[in-house]
Amino acid sequence: MISLYRPGNSPLHRLPAGRKLLLIGALILAISIYPHTLWTLGASAAIVVAAFLIAGQGLRGLWRQTRVVLPLIVFTAVFQLIFLPWMSATITTVRILLVILLAALISLTTQTSAMLDAIERALTPLSRIGVRADRIALLLALTITVIPVIISFARDIITAHRARGVRPGPRTFVVPLLVQTMRFADELGEALNARGVRS
Amino acid sequence: MTARPSFGGADLARIAVFAALIAVLGTLPAIGGGVPITAQTLGVMLAGTVLGPWRGAAAILVLELLVLAGLPLLAGGRGGAGVFVSPSVGYLIGWIAGVIVIGLIVRADRRRPTILRTSVGVVLGGIVTIYAFGIPFQAGITGLTLGQTALSSLVFLPGDLIKAAITVALTLALWRAYPRAFGQSSRRPSATVGSVNTSAADAPATTEPRG
Amino acid sequence: MAGTIDFDRVGVRFGEFDALRDVSVTLTQARIGVIGLNGSGKSTFARMLNALVLPGEGEVRVHGLDPSADAAKVRQIAGFVFANPDAQIIMPTVAEDVAFSLRGRGVPKPEIADRVARELEVFGLSALADAPAHELSGGQKQLLALCAVLITRPELVIADEPTALLDARNRRLIIDHLFSERVPQLVLITHDLDLASRCDVVLRFENGRLLEHGDPADIVARYAEAYA
Repeated sequence: MISLYRPGNSPLHRLPAGRKLLLIGALILAISIYPHTLWTLGASAAIVVAAFLIAGQGLRGLWRQTRVVLPLIVFTAVFQLIFLPWMSATITTVRILLVILLAALISLTTQTSAMLDAIERALTPLSRIGVRADRIALLLALTITVIPVIISFARDIITAHRARGVRPGPRTFVVPLLVQTMRFADELGEALNARGVRS
Repeated sequence: MTARPSFGGADLARIAVFAALIAVLGTLPAIGGGVPITAQTLGVMLAGTVLGPWRGAAAILVLELLVLAGLPLLAGGRGGAGVFVSPSVGYLIGWIAGVIVIGLIVRADRRRPTILRTSVGVVLGGIVTIYAFGIPFQAGITGLTLGQTALSSLVFLPGDLIKAAITVALTLALWRAYPRAFGQSSRRPSATVGSVNTSAADAPATTEPRG
Repeated sequence: MAGTIDFDRVGVRFGEFDALRDVSVTLTQARIGVIGLNGSGKSTFARMLNALVLPGEGEVRVHGLDPSADAAKVRQIAGFVFANPDAQIIMPTVAEDVAFSLRGRGVPKPEIADRVARELEVFGLSALADAPAHELSGGQKQLLALCAVLITRPELVIADEPTALLDARNRRLIIDHLFSERVPQLVLITHDLDLASRCDVVLRFENGRLLEHGDPADIVARYAEAYA
C-alpha cells in the first residue's frame, strides 16, 4: 500500500505518534486562531519551513506538499480576493496553506501502522459509549487488505471493455464493479465468520 | 433496521469492501462523456443507497480514518492529516451525515428503491446535507460569510447534480443486476424456517425474491 | 481420532428455496467426501458444520456442540477453507493474517509469533512472511488460507472445493496438507471424483436431499454413470 510516509530518522520521525499529533496539533491551533499581521504570518511561515527542514523533507518536500494543495489554495485565494481586501485575503490564504503543510508533516514522518495504532489507542476510551476500538482497527486492516482486490476488479473490467472495443462509461464500468465488489463482500463475510470474528 | 446496529462478519466485510471501492473510484481520473468529474463522491452516495445508513456511514468513517493515518485515498491522491485542517474538511464530515440521510430515505423499507425516492434521498443527503456541513466549516476557516462561501461552492453544484443523477441510475441498475447487494445481513437467526447467519453460496437472494 | 457429526432431520430454507431437506446422517469417519451437482445442497451442508448456516428444522451436532447455540465454540474447533483464495485473507500481510487466527484464543503474544513462524515454514511461506498478502499467487493464497486454518489445530476442517481455482501443482500441495495427519477429520466438498474416492465415506446430494452415502467406490461409480 502506497502511503504518504517518507522514511527517515529525524527528531520528528522518532517522536511517538500520539505526542507528535498533540505537538503539531497545538501549533496548528495557535497559527489558526492568532490574529495575524504580515509579521506574525512570516514568523509562522519560518516555523513551518524550519519544521520541514528538521524533518529532513527539504525545500523540495515542502514544494511537493504545496503543489498537491495548490488547486485548493488557488480556489480559496480567488474567492478571498473577490470578497475581501487583498491584505486579509493574503493572510488567510497563506495561513490556510501553512496549517495544511504542518498537518502534512505528521503524515510524512509517521508510519501508517503507527498512526493506525495511535488511532486505536485514542478510540479505546470510547468503549464506554459503545465504540469498539478493536472492531474499528480490524475494519481498517481489512480495508487495506481488500483495496488491491478491488483495484484488480477495476482493471479486469477495463481490460474486458478494451477487448470488446467499448469505452467504459458509468453504467458499463461501475455496475459490474459494484456487482463484483458486493459478491466478493459476501464471500469475505463468510470467511470472517468462519474465522471466528464475533458479532 | 434496528436503531443500534451490531455488526457481524458479513457487515464488516461490506463496510470494508465499500470503503475500498470508494478509494478505488477516487483513483479514476474521470468518468462520463467528456465531463471531468471524479467518481469518488459517486461512491460516497452509493454507500448510502446500497449499504444503507449505518453500514454506509461506517464505510465512510473507515475510509477517512485511513486517510488520517496517511494513506492517499481521496480523489487525486490526496490524503494525510492535512486534509482534516483544510477548508474542505466540512465536506468530509458531511459525507458521513449525508450517507446516513441517503440511507434513511432510500432504504426506509426493504422494497425496491424507486426513482423518486432515490432521487430525493441522493439530493437531500448527497448534496444538501454535505453542503450544509461543508459550507459553515469552509466559511469558518476562510473567514468569508456563509453567503459568500455558498456562492463559491456553486461552482461544484453542476458536477454534483450530474453525479446525483448517475447515482440514481446506478442504484436502480444494480438492483436489477444484483439485488442481493442490497441484502440486510447480520440478522440474528430467528424462529422462522431456515435462518441464516450469512447467505449461502449456492442459494438465491435471501431477502428478496428475484423479480 | 475423528469426532462425531450428527444430522437429525435437518432442513434449511432460503425464502422459497429448499436448500436442504430432511437430512439425517451420523458420521465418524476421518475423511468425508461430499459430491453433487451445483445447487444440490452440498455447500449448505458444509456451511452448517461451521455455523455459517443454521438449521431451520432438525438438529445438528458437531463434535457434541450445537452450532445454533454455540457458533463461536464450533468455529474454534472447525476450520473452513473456501474455493476463492482472495476472499479468505483478512489482514494486510501474510504473517499478520496467519496470526489473526489465534486472536481471542488466549494464546500469549510471544507464542503467537512462534507458532506463526513455524506454521509458515511448514507451508513454505516463510520468505513471504512480511509480504502483502495480495502479492501472492492464487496457489500461495490458498496455502496461506489453509495455513491460517491449521495453525488453530482444528478438530475438523471443512473444505468447499478448495482446489477449484488452482493449477495441478498447487492442487497437489493443498490436497497433501488436507489429507495429512494434521487434519483429524476432513469434510471435502469436491467435483473431483478421484479425490472423492480417496475418502473413507462419500455423501451424494441431489436437489437438497442426501441421496445416498457409504462406500466411496460404489457411490462415485453410480454418480459418474448418472452424469456420463
